[in-house]
Amino acid sequence: MNKVFKTLTLLIVVTLVFGVVFSSCKKKEEVVEAAPVAKPIVAMATDTGGLGDKSFNDGSFQGLKDAAVDFNLDARVVESKQQTDYVPNLSGLAEDGAEVVFGVGFLMADALLEAAANNPDTAFAGIDVWIDPSSAPKNVQGLLFKEQESGYIAGVVAGLLTKEHASVSDRLNDDNVVGMVLGMDIPPVERFQAGFYAGVKSVNPDCTVLSVVTGTFTDQAKGKESALAMIEQGADIIFQIAGLTGLGALNAADEAGIAGIGVDVDQYAVAPDAIITSAVKGITQASYLTIKDVVDGKFVGGDNKVFGINEGATGIAPYHNWNNIIPGVVKDAVDKATADLKSGKVVAPASRAEAGYEG
Amino acid sequence: MEAFFAIFNTDLLVATIRLSTPITLAAVGATICEKSGIVNIAMEGMMIMGAFFAVIIAYYTGNPWLGLVGGVAAGGIFSLVHAVATVTFHLDHVVSGAVLNILSFGIVRYLMVLFFGHPGTTDPIPVGLGGYQFAIPGLSKIPVLGPMFFNQTPIIYMSFILIVGALFFLKKTKVGLHLRAAGEHPLALETIGVSVYKMRYLGVVISGLFSGLAGAYLSIENAVSFTEGMSNGRGFIALAAMISGGWTALGSFAAALFFGFADAFQIRMQIFKVLPIPAEIFIIFPYIATVIAVAGLVKKSRPPRADGIDFMIEREDG
Repeated sequence: MNKVFKTLTLLIVVTLVFGVVFSSCKKKEEVVEAAPVAKPIVAMATDTGGLGDKSFNDGSFQGLKDAAVDFNLDARVVESKQQTDYVPNLSGLAEDGAEVVFGVGFLMADALLEAAANNPDTAFAGIDVWIDPSSAPKNVQGLLFKEQESGYIAGVVAGLLTKEHASVSDRLNDDNVVGMVLGMDIPPVERFQAGFYAGVKSVNPDCTVLSVVTGTFTDQAKGKESALAMIEQGADIIFQIAGLTGLGALNAADEAGIAGIGVDVDQYAVAPDAIITSAVKGITQASYLTIKDVVDGKFVGGDNKVFGINEGATGIAPYHNWNNIIPGVVKDAVDKATADLKSGKVVAPASRAEAGYEG
Repeated sequence: MEAFFAIFNTDLLVATIRLSTPITLAAVGATICEKSGIVNIAMEGMMIMGAFFAVIIAYYTGNPWLGLVGGVAAGGIFSLVHAVATVTFHLDHVVSGAVLNILSFGIVRYLMVLFFGHPGTTDPIPVGLGGYQFAIPGLSKIPVLGPMFFNQTPIIYMSFILIVGALFFLKKTKVGLHLRAAGEHPLALETIGVSVYKMRYLGVVISGLFSGLAGAYLSIENAVSFTEGMSNGRGFIALAAMISGGWTALGSFAAALFFGFADAFQIRMQIFKVLPIPAEIFIIFPYIATVIAVAGLVKKSRPPRADGIDFMIEREDG
């Protein structure tokens, strides 16, 4: 009797603790500006990473906030705690009367299509989501990026620094090896990888380009070990394409006294002395421009929109501490590569097969 | 083929030690816990708590050594929940362990928003323990073994000492004998006047302290920040290491080393491109190797006789 009672008590306590912990971090709506007059709503649902990732979700929401200021809108965000939250979150925002609802992350593709089909009067947009133009509802748009262009330009920097200009910093060596640490092998990651490879080879055909797939976006230790294994082989520049796993890779580069290149956003702050630049992806521009289209009545659904260097959505971040180290010729080469990509004279490969890279 | 042999160098073995340390710590701690008769599947959760609190304390004090103490303590305190649930309240051990694992994710996420304003990853700590790598004079000059065992970072040294300590504790001390008796024949222990409850509490808390240290290794020694999901299943690998190690401290260490070796090996296989197979195959290699080790190669693996069996004393007033 006593035992049953105690077990029951414990179960109740555990349930209550659960309730408190999880209810406090469930669906949180952040209203940026209190709206005295009902302003049009623009909204987004994050993927399970949530706000605070300093990449994807934060970048998208920044675009919403910028647009909210410029066009006098009300920006809202709902965080998804698990994949089953996607559809309710997206549909819920549409039912709140949002003009456009963003789904962030390629994992949301199916949920986005379902929500769009259920709410035909609301515009939906998916960041990093590819939609099939032949079957997708007409109120949903896929927003994709030419990550290969950012990778290509970062590759030009790395290719020149690792060999020809290795003398400019004692973080660089003469081995002519660079390395990449990948998260999961998904299309956006592969585009960065293929572009980087092509960029390095365009200026330094003899360079050895190594890469390791870690299979995770959250495991710093694995990112670090992967980077260290390449550093052992003489790599002096590590390009991370692995989200939070990559923090470990940049950390390894910093500790080993070599250089690193960040990804998605300017990651200079992670290791100010080691990070040469970052291959960025203009998620903020993409969400901003999409809202602008909706405001201007130019939103066209049922298809994908690809953001590249001409939209100002791909490229590299400032050099920060390396600005005075990097020789002018390298900066000129970067400008030339940027111009070539813009004019279409050079097309960065979007896959390993196109780049001819086995890694 | 030449490239294949180039993989086998000292660096591979040093990486093996680095990769296996968190698993070793959690597995040796779990061994002590299960020797006392309490099944422990909550190493993952205890590791997460240890990793998170190590960062929080190192972040606010600026001292990684205090962070280390905080991480270990957090693991120990969190494990008390398991001890109270299983020993005092006689809850099923696996259920309680699963609750702890899930709870840890929620608690950490909640506290991250509270302390840092966002989930995901914390801000970096000013100094990590990784900077305190030191070579033991003389010994570190031994070829191969020197770099592996005598030129490492603080928590790795601690793990070596703790393995020896755990062996000594279990085999040579009176308390160790009592603890093992609690897992083999609790009634006999109670009959000679030693509290089975106390021994089991001790076992669980030791496991919590070890797992907390493993977490601190991940967050403030191997890295300088905490990332949600950074333990990435190592607590469960530690569980497998403990079982395939036959519920012994040395066996757990050997199994953890094996997993670390397999992981270090697959990373290098990817770099050297020895075999033209997709990276995914390499990534799962350490896990498959572990499954095979647990399922097939280890024949004689016996848990303590009263492991997972509830023990209740009927008192006059109860």
